[in-house]
Amino acid sequence: MKERLFDRIVVGLFCGFLAVMCACYLFLPTEDFSALEKRYLEDPPEFSWKTLASGEWGEAVEQYLADHIPGRNFFVGLNAYFVRMTGRQASMDIYAAKDGRLVEAPAVWDQDRVEKNMDAILQFSEKTGQDVYLMLIPSAGWAAAEDVFKPAKAYNDQEMIRWIYEMAGSTVQTVDLTELFHGRKEWYFKTDHHWNSRGAYEGYCAWCLASGREPVPEETFRIGQYGDFFGSTYSRSALWLTKPDSLELWVSASNLTVVNGESDEIHTGPYYWNRLEETDKYTVNLDGNHSVVRVTNPAGSGKLLVIRDSFANSMGVFLAESYETVLLVDLRYYKAELSALCREEGFDKILVCYSLSNFLTDANLVWLR
Amino acid sequence: MLFSSNVFLFAFLPTVLAVYYLVPRVLRNPVLLLVSLVFYGWGEPVYLLLMLAAILLNYGFGLWIWALRRKGKGAKAVLAAGVAANLLLLGYFKYASFLMSAISTVIPGLQRISAPQVELPIGISFYIFQSMSYIIDIYRDDAPVQKNPLTFGTYVALFPQLIAGPIVRYRDVAQQLSSRRENLNDFSSGVLLFIVGLSKKVLLANPMGEAWLQLQCETGLAAAWIGLAAYTLQIYFDFSGYSDMARGLGRMFGFEFLENFRYPYISVSVTEFWRRWHISLSTWFREYVYIPLGGNRRGKGRQLLNLLIVWFLTGLWHGASWNFALWGLYYAVLLILEKLFLLRVLEKLPKPAKHLYTLLVVMIGWALFYFEDLGALGEFMGRLWIPVPASSGSLPLIASFLPLMAVAAFAATPIPASLAVKRDTPALRFVKAAAAACALLLCVGALASQSYNPFIYFRF
Repeated sequence: MKERLFDRIVVGLFCGFLAVMCACYLFLPTEDFSALEKRYLEDPPEFSWKTLASGEWGEAVEQYLADHIPGRNFFVGLNAYFVRMTGRQASMDIYAAKDGRLVEAPAVWDQDRVEKNMDAILQFSEKTGQDVYLMLIPSAGWAAAEDVFKPAKAYNDQEMIRWIYEMAGSTVQTVDLTELFHGRKEWYFKTDHHWNSRGAYEGYCAWCLASGREPVPEETFRIGQYGDFFGSTYSRSALWLTKPDSLELWVSASNLTVVNGESDEIHTGPYYWNRLEETDKYTVNLDGNHSVVRVTNPAGSGKLLVIRDSFANSMGVFLAESYETVLLVDLRYYKAELSALCREEGFDKILVCYSLSNFLTDANLVWLR
Repeated sequence: MLFSSNVFLFAFLPTVLAVYYLVPRVLRNPVLLLVSLVFYGWGEPVYLLLMLAAILLNYGFGLWIWALRRKGKGAKAVLAAGVAANLLLLGYFKYASFLMSAISTVIPGLQRISAPQVELPIGISFYIFQSMSYIIDIYRDDAPVQKNPLTFGTYVALFPQLIAGPIVRYRDVAQQLSSRRENLNDFSSGVLLFIVGLSKKVLLANPMGEAWLQLQCETGLAAAWIGLAAYTLQIYFDFSGYSDMARGLGRMFGFEFLENFRYPYISVSVTEFWRRWHISLSTWFREYVYIPLGGNRRGKGRQLLNLLIVWFLTGLWHGASWNFALWGLYYAVLLILEKLFLLRVLEKLPKPAKHLYTLLVVMIGWALFYFEDLGALGEFMGRLWIPVPASSGSLPLIASFLPLMAVAAFAATPIPASLAVKRDTPALRFVKAAAAACALLLCVGALASQSYNPFIYFRF
C-alpha cells in the first residue's frame, strides 16, 4: 500500500509539473520585453515548410520556449545560487564580493585589440592634428579586490592600464586614475559595473587637473539619494536576493541643456528623472547611451569632445559644469567620420574615456576616423 | 530533439504521454512510431527519409531471410546483402568524406574527386547497428521475425534510445514490443531514473564540460590534468546520463532496456572497464564481429588479430576521424597486453595501484578521443607531462570546480546507489522523491539559464 502511494506521488508530481509548465506556456500571456535583460524576447516563430525542412523552425521554437519559460526569473535565480553554492564563483562572469557587492570578473588582456585601439587613437590624433587625451577607468572589481572571495582570478587593472599607456604614442597624453582610485570601492556601485556619482566626480577632477582647469567644487552640488537601484551586475548575476544599492545624484544650479543625437528635443538639466522608475537607474544620467549627446552650459567655457563608453554618462554631468559645450560620442552607435565633425566644431580638447574592460573588448574604436 | 531541451520536456513529452495513455492499446505502437519520427525529424527532417528507408530495408530483409531460413537455403547470401546494404548506408552518410580523404592521401591522383558533402544524420550509428542485429538474429534464429512493419518501425525509431543508445537488440525487446504491460511501479521508477539521467547530464556533465573548456585556456600541469579529469567525468555523466534518461523514458512506456553503464571508473583493469562502459556497444561487437571472426577459439594469434579488428572498428564507430581509430587501437593494444601478461602482473599489485593504472590509461584515452586534430592532441599530451609555470587563472578555476568534481567523482561510484538501496525505509523513499523533485527544478533552472542573456548596452 505504502509503495503504491509513493509511486502515485512520484508520477503525479512529475506529470503534474510537466502539465503545469505546458499549460503555462499555452495560456499565460507572453512578455515581449525583458526589463532585467534589457532585450526583446524571441517572437513565436512563423511556420513555413522551408524553415521546417532546414531545421531552422525547430531551433526557433526551442529559442522561443527558452525565452518564455514560465517562472524564468525564478529558475535563472535558482541556478545562479546553485552555481554559487557548489563553489563555482570563480568561473562566473560576475563575482559576488562581500557586503552584497556584485562586480565583473577581471578583464582579460587582449594584445591584438589593444594594439588596434591604440593605433586608431593615434591615427585619429594625426588626422585631426590635435593631441588626444586617453583616460582609462579601472574596474569596480579591482577597487573592491580585498572584498572578493579567494581564490579568484586576480584583477590586474593597474598593470594593464600601465601597459596600455606605455604603448601610447607621443600625440596621446594619458590620464592615470589608478593611484587615486586604488581601494576606493565606495566610488563604484554595488549592483552595477559603473562608477557612481562620487567616482565620476573624482574622475572629472582628475581630468581637470590633467587639462589645466579648476574643477567645480563639491559644495556647488546638492546631493540627493535615490534607493532601489538594481544595475547591470545585479541582472547579470541573477542573484536576486542581493540588496539594492542607492544612487546619489549631484544637482547644481547651472543652466544645462542636453540634446541627444537622435532627436532635436532640448532637455533641461543633465538628469532624466523618469528613468528613476526603471530597475536600472543609471540611465538617469544623460538618458543612457546615445550615439551623440550634446550638453551645453552658457556659464562654461571651451568645447570638449569625449569619445566614450557609458562611464562618461555620469562624468558628463560634471564635465558640463566646466565647458560651454561637451559632445559625447559613442562609437558603438556613431559611424560617421568623426574627424570631419572635429573640423566643423573646432574642439579645444579631445578626450578618449573608456572603462578598462571596454577598451580591452570593444571593437568599435576602429570607427574612429 | 534533445532530452535536455524545453521543447522535449514541456511540449513533446507531456503531449506524447497524454496521447499514448489515452489511445487504445492497439494504437500504442503506431503512436510511438509516429512521435518518434517527429522527434527524429525535428532537427533534420530530410533524414526522416533515411530513417524510413532503413526501416523498410531491414523489415524486408528480415522477412526475406526468415522465409529462406524456413526453406533452408540461400539465406546466407541474403543476410550478406542485408548487412552490406546497412553498411553502405552507414558508410555513405558517416564515413564517405573520411574514406575519400584517406584514399586520396594514398593514391594522389584521386585528389580531384571531391568527397560527397553529407552531414552526419543524428543517431545513424545507433539505429543502423540495431537494424543489423535484427537481421542477423533472424538468420541465427535468435529472434522471431516481425511481420508488422509498424511494430518493426517502432523498434528502430523508438525515440528514447534513438539518438544516443543504448543499442537495443531486437531479441531483447521483441516480446515487449508485442505484449508489454505498462504499470505504475515501472512508470514511477522510470520517472526517477529519467531525473537521475537528466541531472547527470545537466548538473554534472555540463559543468564538467565547462571546466574542461575553461581549463584548456590555462597553463600548468595541474590545469591540464584536472581539465582532463573534468572531461573524463563529463563524458561519463553525459553518456550514462543519456542512457539513464533513455531507460527511464522506456519504462514510462512499458519497456525495459538493458543497463549500458555500470560504474566504469571503479574498474581495476582495462578489461573490466570495457565490461562496464557502453555495455550495449561492446556486447554488439562481441556478438556480431568478434565471435563470428572466431573469437578466442582459433588460437592466440588469431585472437589477437580479432581483437585488433574489433577495436579498430569500435574506434571508428565513434566517429569518422583518425583519432577515433587511434583511440580504438590504443585500447586494442592495452587489452592484448592485459590478456598476454598485464592482468597477471596487476593481480599482484595493491588495489589502489590497479585503480590508478586504469584511471590513468582511461584518461589518456579520453584525450585521444577528444582531440580530432592530431596536432592539438600532441600539444595537449605535451602539456600533461612537460612542466610549465601555471597561469594565474588556473588556481582559481581549479578551486572553483573542485567541489563539484568531488561530488561527481563520488557519484561515479556505486556508493550513493547502494546507500539508497540499503536503507529503503518508507521515510527515505520520500526523501528520495523530494531530492528528485529538487534535482528536476535545478535542471530546469540550468536549462533556463542557458538562454538568459542580459544585454548590457541596450539602447532604447
